[in-house]
Amino acid sequence: MARFITIGERIHCISPSIRDAMENRKPEPILKRAKEQLDAGATYLDVNIGPAESSGEEIMKWAVTLIQGACDNAPLCFDTSNRKAIEAGISVYNRAKGKPVINSADAGDRISNIDLAAANDAIVLALCSKSGISADNDERMAHCQEMLERALSLGMEAEDVWFDPLFLVIKGMQDKQLEVLEFVRQCSEMGLKTTGGLSNVSNGMPKDIRPVIDSAMVAMAMMNGLSSAICNPCDLRLMQTIKSCDVIRNNYLYADSYLEF
Amino acid sequence: MSFVSKPRSFKASIGALTFGPGPSAVTIGGGGTLPLHFFDAKPDAPPRLPKVGVEVADTGFAAEGLPLLAACYDGAATLAERVRRAASLDGADFVCLRFEGADPGGVDRPVEECVALAKEALDASPLPVAIAGCKNVEKDTALFTALAEALQGRNVLFLSAREEDYKQIGAAAALAYGHKVGAESAVDINLAKQLNVLMTQLGVPKESIAMNVGGAAAGYGFEYVASTMDRVRAAALEQEDAMLQMPIVTLVSQEAWAVKESIASAEDVPEWGELEQRAIQMEAVTAAACLASGSDAVVLRHPVTVGKIAALIKALGV
Repeated sequence: MARFITIGERIHCISPSIRDAMENRKPEPILKRAKEQLDAGATYLDVNIGPAESSGEEIMKWAVTLIQGACDNAPLCFDTSNRKAIEAGISVYNRAKGKPVINSADAGDRISNIDLAAANDAIVLALCSKSGISADNDERMAHCQEMLERALSLGMEAEDVWFDPLFLVIKGMQDKQLEVLEFVRQCSEMGLKTTGGLSNVSNGMPKDIRPVIDSAMVAMAMMNGLSSAICNPCDLRLMQTIKSCDVIRNNYLYADSYLEF
Repeated sequence: MSFVSKPRSFKASIGALTFGPGPSAVTIGGGGTLPLHFFDAKPDAPPRLPKVGVEVADTGFAAEGLPLLAACYDGAATLAERVRRAASLDGADFVCLRFEGADPGGVDRPVEECVALAKEALDASPLPVAIAGCKNVEKDTALFTALAEALQGRNVLFLSAREEDYKQIGAAAALAYGHKVGAESAVDINLAKQLNVLMTQLGVPKESIAMNVGGAAAGYGFEYVASTMDRVRAAALEQEDAMLQMPIVTLVSQEAWAVKESIASAEDVPEWGELEQRAIQMEAVTAAACLASGSDAVVLRHPVTVGKIAALIKALGV
């Protein structure tokens, strides 16, 4: 098995400093977060520019060139509902360290993002929902199948579609957690790759609790075969847990210094 | 149905380590296929064939019952001359000079004398030289430290740094004088990785580190060696583990010539037949098995084995 893939979530326009940096093309705040996350062990960096309806293409091109130029062509995840911005980003993207990732498609309005990935030889995150949260795993699996078939019919490899069960917030949806984990297992038993927004689970919890819950969740999800997550790589406890789980799953060879790199 | 070749390709590749001075330098590693799967090499990256080193000991070799080995070095009075002979063998890519005589439990040759011998030997060798010690940690540390300084600019591969002395040897050989260093572990995959991590953290560049992951003669626990090398190569290529992408050097001769099949005379064990052919087979079988498991270079003693293994590599690499 390949090592767990961490997609760093911290370049996100919801953060005021990042939003300002994107709007006014200020490199420093973005590069600071890019480097922090890579140093902490992120494989991919998510670049969330929001809907960015007016200037999305420009912003994405600028951000991709900026980050890849300063960070040895770190592989990126294009996170926006603006399709043109994704295409623009991919047009200047360097694939040396990995294919671009499109974040994301779903089985509803955004299903055509699978077509976009197929046309651009990209990886696509496929959210197993249509409108709102799936009621149960039967529904999740139906969405998963629909998206998988579409991807395959467009000539994509199954390994380039990473299925997202949609991690749910524990405060409010505590009873749904095992179901999500079970879905991760179903996907991995089918040989499919999985991912998801891990930090969702601890949303609304006190700051000092979140790393504990996120770490426990990632460990249980990795036990069920989770192959990737969009999360905060600067959370030391979380990264230590991921590395330890990778060792236990035999994805990564143990050495006494395994936590250090 | 006709055969359709499906190359097994990886994004990662094994690092390339170059030792020896200038134009005569040799490169080990650098490939991106499973061991001996040269046919899987990408068109733009020709296969990197494993290299063959010839072992020469400062003490010479006991050649009783080994007429072919004796003939190879017949009349070679000095270490430098023996090195020249070894370097001239068909199939030799480098010479591995081993200071067995440095051992405090044996000849206990002083460091200064070893340094003088090494200088003469390097001057005599048209091929790159790797230098191995006597396995005594304290003496090897002193010896390698002195040799690293005396052989500055000669780009020697030192075999090897261990858990006990990697700091001194890494610092002296690689950091101070730009030589290459083998990181030695004894069939312990976790330690093999850890040593690479520690050497890297010391500041030794990745491309200056080789791995000596240990060995065994065929039939003497070789399955542990094979599984260790398999796992190292799988981690390097499939899991893209940068801390295991160093090329592997295996001192086959040290193992193959230490077992009874290569030592017992025909008089003692008549049913085993003549000693020299037996010893050659032991060394050749062990070397071939190491190459099949992932060695990027093997060090051999007997001229016939050197020729056989070089021919094997060449035939598979076409």
